[in-house]
Amino acid sequence: MKQRTGTAYGFLSPYLIVFAAFWIWPILYSFYLSFLFTRRQPWTWNPRVTWGRLVQDPEFFNALKNTLLILVVQVPVMIALAVLLAVLLNSTLLKARGIMRFAFFAPVVVGEVAYAAVFRLMFNADFGVINKLIEGVGLPAVSWFSDPTAAMALIIMAVTWRWAGYNAIIILSGLQSIPDDVYEAATLDRVSPVKQFFYITLPLLRPIIVFCVVLSVIGTMQLFAEPFLITNRGGPGGATETLGLFLYRQGFTVLNFGYASAVAYTIAALAVVISLLNLWLGRDAT
Amino acid sequence: MAGVSLSDVKKRFGAAEVIHGVDLTVEDGEFVVFVGPSGCGKSTLLRMIAGLEDISGGEVRIGERVVNDVEASDRGTAMVFQTYALYPHMTVAQNMSFGLRMTGNDKADTEARVSRAAEVLQIEPLMDRRPKALSGGQRQRVAIGRAIVRDPSVFLFDEPLSNLDAELRVQMRVEIARLHGELGTTMIYVTHDQTEAMTLADRIVVLRAGRVEQVGRPLELYHDPANQFVAGFIGSPRMNFLPGTVVSRGDGRVRLRLERGGEIELPLETLPREGAAVTLGIRPEHFVPAGQGDCDITLEVEVIEHLGATSFVYSGTRSGAQIIAQRPETPESAEASEHAGERLTVAIPAARAFLFDDSGARLR
Repeated sequence: MKQRTGTAYGFLSPYLIVFAAFWIWPILYSFYLSFLFTRRQPWTWNPRVTWGRLVQDPEFFNALKNTLLILVVQVPVMIALAVLLAVLLNSTLLKARGIMRFAFFAPVVVGEVAYAAVFRLMFNADFGVINKLIEGVGLPAVSWFSDPTAAMALIIMAVTWRWAGYNAIIILSGLQSIPDDVYEAATLDRVSPVKQFFYITLPLLRPIIVFCVVLSVIGTMQLFAEPFLITNRGGPGGATETLGLFLYRQGFTVLNFGYASAVAYTIAALAVVISLLNLWLGRDAT
Repeated sequence: MAGVSLSDVKKRFGAAEVIHGVDLTVEDGEFVVFVGPSGCGKSTLLRMIAGLEDISGGEVRIGERVVNDVEASDRGTAMVFQTYALYPHMTVAQNMSFGLRMTGNDKADTEARVSRAAEVLQIEPLMDRRPKALSGGQRQRVAIGRAIVRDPSVFLFDEPLSNLDAELRVQMRVEIARLHGELGTTMIYVTHDQTEAMTLADRIVVLRAGRVEQVGRPLELYHDPANQFVAGFIGSPRMNFLPGTVVSRGDGRVRLRLERGGEIELPLETLPREGAAVTLGIRPEHFVPAGQGDCDITLEVEVIEHLGATSFVYSGTRSGAQIIAQRPETPESAEASEHAGERLTVAIPAARAFLFDDSGARLR
């Protein structure tokens, strides 16, 4: 038996070595790094300039505030939209359901740089199609990239566009696991379709929705591509700088790896705490 | 309470017609069972009465009201599904009261109805449990309870016992019969199990390929089947069919020669022509000992099933011309019983035999 276990680990070892070298080690090493002053060689033990700075750095709190704002506004809106989309994509009244399902899933497949470029063009203040439409209905043009609120709205719209369909497909799989005869029984029980949605569909989708929320929370905590590519590295003036972007700036622009490691651990800890909170709120009461 | 009547009811899925003009009247308070093989349209017909399937043609009435265009929720029917269709996230009590709560029924009345149904079905100790914590039989009781609390004018059962094991099926069958006696409400019950049909029904509707083959009381169908299909479907084990040819006719009697050997004379009102291909039907339980009937036949015994009170002798299963004979069993007969490979001669009494023409229609 012992030898068989040894053989199994032998086969696993190439993976385990790579996993340890490029996953476990960086995690442990970055935790160690988070206590070092890394602006000057040789690196020295000095938690005050990493963890000490973190708790009073206005730029960190700005990034944290932006990230939490996106989390609080974007995630609920996106999940609600995803549920509606899933119900729509599940409807027998919808023509060409297969094509529609692919169409709503497609944004995830599109490369981030390509979709960011398209968004920049669409929302361009002078010749973008969005401002043309807004002006077309008699409203003033919006400075999407120079107005802090508009820039944040743009990030939220972009992230929602990219991930709503993806979540909708996950929720759709949950919807399809609810048997038709439960709805037929409810119909014969004289329960209206709207009440069926709120009293049957939503409660039965709860585990799937919680799963999507946790995924989205983790994704938002790491949000990087959109503020980097669409709003010019978190512009205007840091108005859309997220924790992910702040981490990148500290690590790879300023090359302050110690501080960046402390930020990375904070992001991970926040993601874990918020996800656990979601799981606890979404738990089955029995 | 209300009766149900169907007149020339049709159902099409695209170009395919699956129900071909069914006419049927179910009296108020009657227990009617739709029975037939898989795919005969019995569940579709039930769902058309419930309003869960559209009606492509004809007219469905519940009570005095034509319900073709009435929503399922407004037809006053309650349905018990094969899969129970309980709301998995609700307790038994919530499952039963859901419909009443959602339609704004008085709270005290809802509670009273639920506890009365729970008492009738003996599920009071289960009221706080969720469906996943119940056995199949308990779930089916809850599903029936959910139907009862709505006090419907018609109960519809769609193969409600198919997912239960044999013992539980017998027990629930008895309970459904008792329930019908207590409630007196019209019940329409779909099953492919002819034993369920025979034991529960006031009247049985035998369906095949979307058409009604015969409607009648259980024993009427057993003793006087309209055609070979009904004769074969009702009765367990099924009726034996022996192909033969008419060799002579006259004087209100017809003489036929069986393909497997032997001749028999039967009294008939309408006589088939000489040389006509016919099928003789005889139930396993109607064979008599050799020499005591009107035609002896010899069976190659392949399998004997001893059930205690009776035994079934199987012959011809390999050749496809299967014949099953039932014999009463006593300790002595079991001792003296034949074994596989031996021969057994039994006799057909003409008075218990049926005759069918080559289209399967009954010759009387």
